[in-house]
Amino acid sequence: MNAEPSAVTQVVMGAQFWTATALFLVAYALIVSEKVHKTVVAIFGASVMIVLGIITQEEAFHSKDLGIDWNVIFLLVSMMIIINIMKPTGAFEYIAVKSAKVAKGQPFRIMVILSVVTAVMSAFLDNVTTVLLIAPVTLLICQALELDVIPFLLTEAMASNIGGTATLIGDPPNIMIASKAKLDFVSFLFNLAPVIVVILIVYILTIKIIFGKKLQVKDELRQRVMEMDERATLKDPVLLKKSLLVLAITITGFMFHGVLDLEPATVALFGAGLLLLISGVKDPHHILAEAEWATLFFFMGLFIIIGGVVNVGLVKWMSIQVLNLTHGNLLGTSMIVMWFSAFASAFIDNIPYVATMNPLIIDMARQLWPDASGLALLHHPDLMPMWWSLALGACLGGNGTAIGASANVIVVGLAEKAGKPISFGKFMMYGMPLMVESVTIAMGYVWLRYYVFKF
Amino acid sequence: MKARNLMVKARNLMVPLTDYLRPESTIKEAVNMLRSAKRDDERVGVKGLPVLDAGGKLVGILSMGDILKAVYPFYMPMMNLGDFTWDGMVESLARQATDRTVDNIMTKNVITIGENDSLMKCVDQMIKNKVHRLPVLDDSNKVVGMLYERDVFFIIVKAMLEEGKDKEK
Repeated sequence: MNAEPSAVTQVVMGAQFWTATALFLVAYALIVSEKVHKTVVAIFGASVMIVLGIITQEEAFHSKDLGIDWNVIFLLVSMMIIINIMKPTGAFEYIAVKSAKVAKGQPFRIMVILSVVTAVMSAFLDNVTTVLLIAPVTLLICQALELDVIPFLLTEAMASNIGGTATLIGDPPNIMIASKAKLDFVSFLFNLAPVIVVILIVYILTIKIIFGKKLQVKDELRQRVMEMDERATLKDPVLLKKSLLVLAITITGFMFHGVLDLEPATVALFGAGLLLLISGVKDPHHILAEAEWATLFFFMGLFIIIGGVVNVGLVKWMSIQVLNLTHGNLLGTSMIVMWFSAFASAFIDNIPYVATMNPLIIDMARQLWPDASGLALLHHPDLMPMWWSLALGACLGGNGTAIGASANVIVVGLAEKAGKPISFGKFMMYGMPLMVESVTIAMGYVWLRYYVFKF
Repeated sequence: MKARNLMVKARNLMVPLTDYLRPESTIKEAVNMLRSAKRDDERVGVKGLPVLDAGGKLVGILSMGDILKAVYPFYMPMMNLGDFTWDGMVESLARQATDRTVDNIMTKNVITIGENDSLMKCVDQMIKNKVHRLPVLDDSNKVVGMLYERDVFFIIVKAMLEEGKDKEK
């Protein structure tokens, strides 16, 4: 199980190295401090990297290893377009209201069903999008039942972060890992979904213990929910059918993109293009304008900043330090990667974190297996658990604090608007133990599956 | 009619300020005030009133629309939720909102007009800013009255009808 690091090449720590490192650290600090909007930091930081010649424009825009990862950008923007076209059909209101009625208006059942629905939707859609689609209906249902909405919003945000971990497209860290490590949709499903199902079941049992007994409502209030007609919201059945068809084609495309030899971004772009075509959108301007450009530009800027510090050898230097620390013990390394990722992602944005970790892991692999290259290196059997540990840690870690994941930030904002603020401490009181619980399960899973039973 | 040749300025048309709201008043007090505000010596109620602080400074305006917004849940416009409401929802939210204060729900960005401004400037402000009433300020920026859309409308009506009479002659 031990692989000694060999052929450790020296990193030249010249002026460029220190300039890039300083830029990277300042950018990270500004993003964490939230003094300047993270997108502004990313765009400005990226431009400075190019202006100072730490990375060339050619590399920043076109290099697969150092530049903007267009796979990630096009996958995200395409999924945003599909959802933006689909939103007015009322399908999401239908799903949420239907869930409450299936639960017969019983509060805990509603909490469980909405959490599961959120988790499943998050596996295929962006977590923030999912929460923004489910939370408004949740607020309405809690108003109808005269219940405190906080437990519902909290459990949905956390379910969204758990569910998003299950697939390649569920959470941005997975999209980034898949693109850099050249892993396909089925590998993610096969390696991550089983443990996510277990984590979700344990999560629901845990929220039953925490919230289950407190939730009681009178029959007449339940009647308000039961009298809601979920079909009333389906205003455009034709567009709905077209959207569902495209969504089905896209998800099927994801399933087989490895076999078809198409990148996930290509599949998503095809889905977006097809839906734009058949939905009869006259003026695509407003559909495109609604894409979250601030997020997309954050990604682009970040990729360039990371490209700069990779170029000067900072990431390589960091990977050497990690290997020195673990003496090349791979089980130890993957456990450290998982737990470190979890706690790091609980406090800082997991997107810049994973953007930094991806090249670090690849550099680490180069140290360990200097003779391997290409897919043989990226998919080295001993390296695979490292990718899954990074994905599990970075995604599940988001549940730790109110700022750990974008979905958390959204529900905290909604709760405040509803006049029921969730403090940082209150979120952490629920989030941190639930995060430790899920990462512990993930740790057991990685250990058993990849180091004991090895399948 | 000599009146037609008179220059109509905002101060000629405004209703002099008698009733106004305080930012610390509750919504309950505010709606009561709106309901019974004076207009042309009659207590008929108005659709909006200015909000003045203790020093008499204009800090906002409260209209019926603001009252409606106070009972309208913020999450409703996020999605199509109008189909999933129930009888008594407005009333119960209204009861919950009674103790909120005026400064919480008033419109803070107030469009005003000077007392010597022309009538067309008043119309210009109303149309461009989509408002139906304008607090009228004197030279020292003190609110001296309110100009209502309805009163501008009556000037227009008068002009049109008198034009008709002239033609008949």
